[in-house]
Amino acid sequence: MEKRNVVEQYNLPPNVRFCKKCTISNQRPRITFDEQGVCSACNFAEYKRKKVDWKEREAELLELCDKHRKNNGEYDVIVPCSGGKDGSFVAHQLKYKYGMNPLTVTWAPLKATDIGRRNLDAFIASGFDNVLGTPNGKVTRQLTHLAFNYLGDPFQPFIYGQTNFPLHMAVKYKVPLIMYGENGEVEYGGDAKNAFRPDRDIQDHDKHYFSGLPPEFWTEHGISMADLKPFMAPAYEEIMHNNTQIHFFGYYKFWDPQENFYYCTENTGFIPNTERSEGTYSKYASLDDCIDGYHYYLAYIKFGIGRTTSDAAHEIRDGKITREEGIALIKKYDGEFPNKYLNDFLEYCAITQDKFYEVIDSWRSNHLWEKRDGVWHLKHPIWESK
Amino acid sequence: MNKQELTVIDYGMGNLLSVKRALEHCGASVIVSSDPAQILSVPRLVLPGVGAFGDAMAELARRELSLVIKEAASRGTLIMGICLGMQMLLDESEEFGQTAGLGLIPGKVVPISTLSSDGNRQKVPHIGWNDLVLPAAKSNWDGTLLQGISPGDAFYFVHSFMASPLHQEHRLADCVYGGVKVSAVVAKDNIIGCQFHPEKSGEVGLKILRRFLTL
Amino acid sequence: MRKARLIARLDVKGPNLIKGIHLEGLRVIGSPNEHAVRYYEQGADELIYMDCVASLYGRNNLSDIVKSAAENVFIPITVGGGVRSVEDATHLLRCGADKVAVNTAAVANPALISEISRRFGSQCMVLSVEAKLVGEKKWEAYTDNGRERTGLDVVEWIKKGVSLGAGEVLLTSVDREGTRKGFDVSLMQAVTREVSVPVIASGGMGEASDLIAVVKEGYADAVAMADILHYKRASMRDIRSVALSADIEVRRYE
Repeated sequence: MEKRNVVEQYNLPPNVRFCKKCTISNQRPRITFDEQGVCSACNFAEYKRKKVDWKEREAELLELCDKHRKNNGEYDVIVPCSGGKDGSFVAHQLKYKYGMNPLTVTWAPLKATDIGRRNLDAFIASGFDNVLGTPNGKVTRQLTHLAFNYLGDPFQPFIYGQTNFPLHMAVKYKVPLIMYGENGEVEYGGDAKNAFRPDRDIQDHDKHYFSGLPPEFWTEHGISMADLKPFMAPAYEEIMHNNTQIHFFGYYKFWDPQENFYYCTENTGFIPNTERSEGTYSKYASLDDCIDGYHYYLAYIKFGIGRTTSDAAHEIRDGKITREEGIALIKKYDGEFPNKYLNDFLEYCAITQDKFYEVIDSWRSNHLWEKRDGVWHLKHPIWESK
Repeated sequence: MNKQELTVIDYGMGNLLSVKRALEHCGASVIVSSDPAQILSVPRLVLPGVGAFGDAMAELARRELSLVIKEAASRGTLIMGICLGMQMLLDESEEFGQTAGLGLIPGKVVPISTLSSDGNRQKVPHIGWNDLVLPAAKSNWDGTLLQGISPGDAFYFVHSFMASPLHQEHRLADCVYGGVKVSAVVAKDNIIGCQFHPEKSGEVGLKILRRFLTL
Repeated sequence: MRKARLIARLDVKGPNLIKGIHLEGLRVIGSPNEHAVRYYEQGADELIYMDCVASLYGRNNLSDIVKSAAENVFIPITVGGGVRSVEDATHLLRCGADKVAVNTAAVANPALISEISRRFGSQCMVLSVEAKLVGEKKWEAYTDNGRERTGLDVVEWIKKGVSLGAGEVLLTSVDREGTRKGFDVSLMQAVTREVSVPVIASGGMGEASDLIAVVKEGYADAVAMADILHYKRASMRDIRSVALSADIEVRRYE
């Protein structure tokens, strides 16, 4: 199989550098480093901690809520959630602290884990309305198969659908306000242009989430427009007619995912896993899909950034662990192959193990990887840097 | 309160730091040492001990300290043995055969039975908190090391062997384990022994150490 | 009948006292020694300090904390987390610990249990076990702060550890830890049935009354509590009086 040009496709710097404060590298797409070698996510975290007047931000939230609150039994805010700690936190705060009437919306995982389903049920049982959107299973599998083979990311179709589902629900339920948790681009070192505003432009999400592949690509591979419709956004005019706005709770409240975890164990029946997720040390993040391990693993192959690197980076920024501790964790767990659901994944995508590895290896850029004694190694792991 | 001078005998066995800290907390000026001159220069000595009787006596012998301690005893120095240190004050121990002790209190050291008085199996070592009781020969603790302690006060024990003094009047306090009276405090003139760890028994333990500093 | 011991458990990360749930989360509660002193003054029978992330980060650094604990706390102290050798144990005991607790290193090298126990006595060697339910009355032992599976059956592993010289067992239920749902009594029963050394129940205490079942039905020799004390939901005094009212023999403490 032909080797991909990862550097070109993602516009990656040829030399690997690590942030001086956290564990993320300059290989993360769209991240920037300042002259001190500190990444944009860390700088944002610093700004968050030192420069933001959270009282003022809360006042803005109160104003926003007052503006949208319906007080007549109809939903007044759409909260995308998966049953995990972040969406549940947002929903609980909006409903029980700010008096809103949220409709929580969940885009079905490709293959739900027991703990994920349990947490979603517990969340709903703790007092929330929820709509679960499950797209055509057969289509989803075909899309996943194609995305894995052509994009090197089986999760892309899921992400499309997950991004667009709240828009569908907003339009259908005539609810203009959609409230996400954090703005991932801003918090984790992506495009930081929305760092100082509570929302983002609706038309923008195309650029970030569709990896440059238009719907036409899919139709060429036997997926009809009708099949794709549930994954695509509703008509732009409908979105605008509804006055739809996407806001981020992380703008209004200091965002701390670990604190969300504690909050949800106390308020929405959330329980962390009793064992860690493969590829990381964490037990409370992203628990709901058997397949997501392959998304994280491919990020590790493409960018040298595995799940542990990302988890550690944000925990460092949030002051939970030190950079040294993060590095020890990365050395121990990053890039761990997700074995647990491999057979499920191969079956789901209808590919053989050989083909699977062929695809994986096609994404190993020479600027990151080398083979020593038949084993692939990162050329520049963080524990060997500086 | 005057800073009392005291030496904790270091023969390589025992939780020296805890003993030292507790004594200092009670106002003593503590030197931890294995130097005979240092040991003989103070009015009070503490002999700690954790481990096996035979090893402990061998370590004392290696440092030529058995004679030094006996000399100090004969000069009237106040000596407190703690845990294994208490057991070493006696004539001999049955742990791993017959081993001679310091012979400062007549009697021997015997194993704690693995059967309780009602014939049931019991766990050995005796670990945990246990209440002090007055032994048969005593009606109160006035004027002794245990003045101010009440029967029923609990102390922390960790041991598999127990001291069995020859003479009843040398038993100052007992505790009961498995229905059997176990020697908790022994005393003969200037020689005192605590089977429990006064430095690990909270405030009542510290009370005993403070009392030791005023005797 | 031996008195049940009421033990305050402090999970430590670096300089901080922390508390997690299912051995996850690093929420900082405060200063370990401040809390230790308070628990001592309220009548704790013993303290356990666990550096729960030592194995995860490949380090151990409890000595400073133990040294300062030994300054103002005059009850037995058990220290665990990252104890990998007899030297580590020696160092901690010299710093003021009375017992050392070992988990990860013991699983990797069971002979370590014998080495520590021979050198310091079995009463100093506490086998720390993180137990996760994997089937009907079956638990698997975990290491690295509940993150690595060992494939070992908890009951069999504890029996082995005791035969190698462990004088006490600290048994933590990964499933109950931090949840306030009560102890895993059947886990306790399964273990105390098989060994004759003291077993300390850890993980799940929600209310003071939870200790009753784990002592009376589980035959726990001691109860370790963390969440309930750190979040000030009950004091040692409250807990002691609940035990007394339930006719459980505990140290008398005013």
